[in-house]
Amino acid sequence: MNSHPNVADKVLEILLIDDDLDRAAAFSSALDHSRYHVSHLVSSRTSLLREVDQLKPDIIVIDIESPDRDILESLSTLSSFNPKPVVMFCEQDDSQLINQSVQSGVSAYVVGDVQSARVRSILDAAVARFQQYQTLKQELNETKHKLESRRVIEKAKALLMNKKNMSEAKAFNTMRKMAMDSGQKMEQVASTLLSILNTLDEKE
Amino acid sequence: MQPANKTQLQLGFVPLTDSAPLVMAKELGFFQAEGLDVALRKQNSWATLRDKLQVGILDGAQMLAPMPLASQLGLGGNRAPIITPFVLSFNGNAITLSESLCRELCELHGLPLNKLPLPLPASLLKAVIDKRIQEGRPAMKFATVFAYSCHYYQLRQWFSDADIELGTEVEVQVLPPTSMVAALHEGVVDGYCVGGPWNAKAVRAGLGLTATSSCDIWPDQPEKVLGITQSWMQANPDTTGALIRALKRACNWLEELPNRFEAARILCSATYLNADLDVVAPTLLGSCLVHQGLNPRTISAYNRFRSAGQEGNNNPDSYYGRFLLNQMVEAGHIQLSQYKQIDSEQVFRADVYAQALRREQTAVL
Repeated sequence: MNSHPNVADKVLEILLIDDDLDRAAAFSSALDHSRYHVSHLVSSRTSLLREVDQLKPDIIVIDIESPDRDILESLSTLSSFNPKPVVMFCEQDDSQLINQSVQSGVSAYVVGDVQSARVRSILDAAVARFQQYQTLKQELNETKHKLESRRVIEKAKALLMNKKNMSEAKAFNTMRKMAMDSGQKMEQVASTLLSILNTLDEKE
Repeated sequence: MQPANKTQLQLGFVPLTDSAPLVMAKELGFFQAEGLDVALRKQNSWATLRDKLQVGILDGAQMLAPMPLASQLGLGGNRAPIITPFVLSFNGNAITLSESLCRELCELHGLPLNKLPLPLPASLLKAVIDKRIQEGRPAMKFATVFAYSCHYYQLRQWFSDADIELGTEVEVQVLPPTSMVAALHEGVVDGYCVGGPWNAKAVRAGLGLTATSSCDIWPDQPEKVLGITQSWMQANPDTTGALIRALKRACNWLEELPNRFEAARILCSATYLNADLDVVAPTLLGSCLVHQGLNPRTISAYNRFRSAGQEGNNNPDSYYGRFLLNQMVEAGHIQLSQYKQIDSEQVFRADVYAQALRREQTAVL
C-alpha cells in the first residue's frame, strides 16, 4: 500500500549528484522497478543550477559532504529559485544525529545506507513532506497577507473617521464605494488613502 | 561539583586563508597548552558545518559572521541557539571579474586595463549591464558562497552604491569556493565575491581581475567567528575559556609579518588548503593581486586577525551583531520583526570573551 496516493502514479524525477560511482549504482538499483527515475550527475559543480533548471527534478539526492550542498540550500534561501526537497547521504554513524537537525529544518532528509529498502520509503516521505511544507507555507503567506490587508483597511478607516469626522460605518462605506467605482480592491484603496492623507499632513 | 568539561574537541573549519587562527593554534600547540586535545575537521559546505555543529558532531566551528544570527532565526536550516564568543577574522574577501567582462568594461569606457580606477566602482558596470539588455543578452551573473554571508552583503553593498540592485539587475547565485574559478573560466558567472585564496587563484591563472576588496567596501567588520552552541558553552564553561585563550594567542601571533609567511606555508599543505604558496601568501602579507598584467595593490589590512587599532582585539562586540542584522534587513533576508526578535548581546557574547581573558590576566599575575 502506498500512503501517498496523490503522488503514487506519477514518475518522479531524481537528480542524483554523487562522485562515488559504486554508491550511485547501488542507489539506482535500489530504485529499480519503482516510480523513481534517476539521472546521475558526477561533479556537477558549475552546472548544477542549469541541470536543475532543465531537468526540473522532483527530488535531489546528494552527499552531505559535497560542496554543492550550499548551492542546493540556496534554492530555498534565495528568492529567485524554486525550493526542492533534498535527500542527503551521510556516514551511518552520523545519520541519526544529523537527521534530528535537518528534519526540523526545511525539507531535507538523511539516509545512511543506500542499499536498504529504507531508501524508497525515505524518498516517499521526503516528497510528501515537502508538498505538505509548501502547502503550509502558501497558507501562511495567504494568512499573513490577509492580516496585513485588514490592518491597512482598519488604519485608513480610523484616519477617515479622525480627519473627516466620519462614523465607522460611513468611513467603511466610503472606502467600499471608492473600491467599487475604481474597480480596485479595498486594500488598494486603503493604502492610496493612507498615503494621500499622510502626504497632506506633512504639507500642512 | 561541576561535571568535567570536555577536553577532546572536534572543530570544523573550511579550507580558506582566514582559517589561519584555528590552524595556527593547533600547529603551534596553543590548544595543547590550554589542556585541549583538538582535531580540526575540514568541511566542504557551510550548511553541513552548521548542521553538524547544531547536533554536536562538531564541538565548535569557524563560521561566517552572520551564521550564528541566521541559526538563531532558523534561516535556511534548523533554528538553534548558536553563539559566538570570539571573532576569528576581519576583512579577507574580494570581488573578482572575469576576463571577458573586464575586456567589455575597458572597451565600453575606452580605457586601457592599466587606467581602470581601483578599487573599481560598480558604477562602471552599469554601462555593460545596459548594453547587454539592449542586445538581448543574458543578465550579468555573480556568485557568492552562501546566502547569509558577508560576501553576499558586500556584493549587494558594492552594487547598491552604484544604484544597481542585486537580484534583479544583476543575478546572484551560490557556488562553493572551490567551483568559483572554474565558473569564471566557463562563463557560468561574470564575477564573484569570495575569500582567499580564490581571488588570487583566478588572477594567477589569468582568468580575472580583482576589482575591489571587502576592506574597500566595509573595512574592519568581522568576517569569520568561532561558533558554538549555547548549551555546549553552558556544559563546558572552562573549555570555552580555554578555546578563547588559545585562539587569542594564535591571533596575536599572526600580528607579526614574518609569522604571516610561516602561516601561509602551513596553510598550503594538503591537510589544510591544499593550495600553492603563491596564492595563499599574498593576502596574508597585505598584497592584493589585481590582474596578471598589473601590479598588486597594497592592502595591509586585507586579512586581519585582530580588530583595527593599536590594541587590536577579538571581542565579539554586540555592535557587530547589530551591523550584520542591519545588512540582513537591507538585503531582504529578514523582516524588521525578526530583527527585533534577536538580542545581539545574547549572540555576540562579549561577556564570555572578557571573562576568559580576565582569567588569563589573573594567571599571569
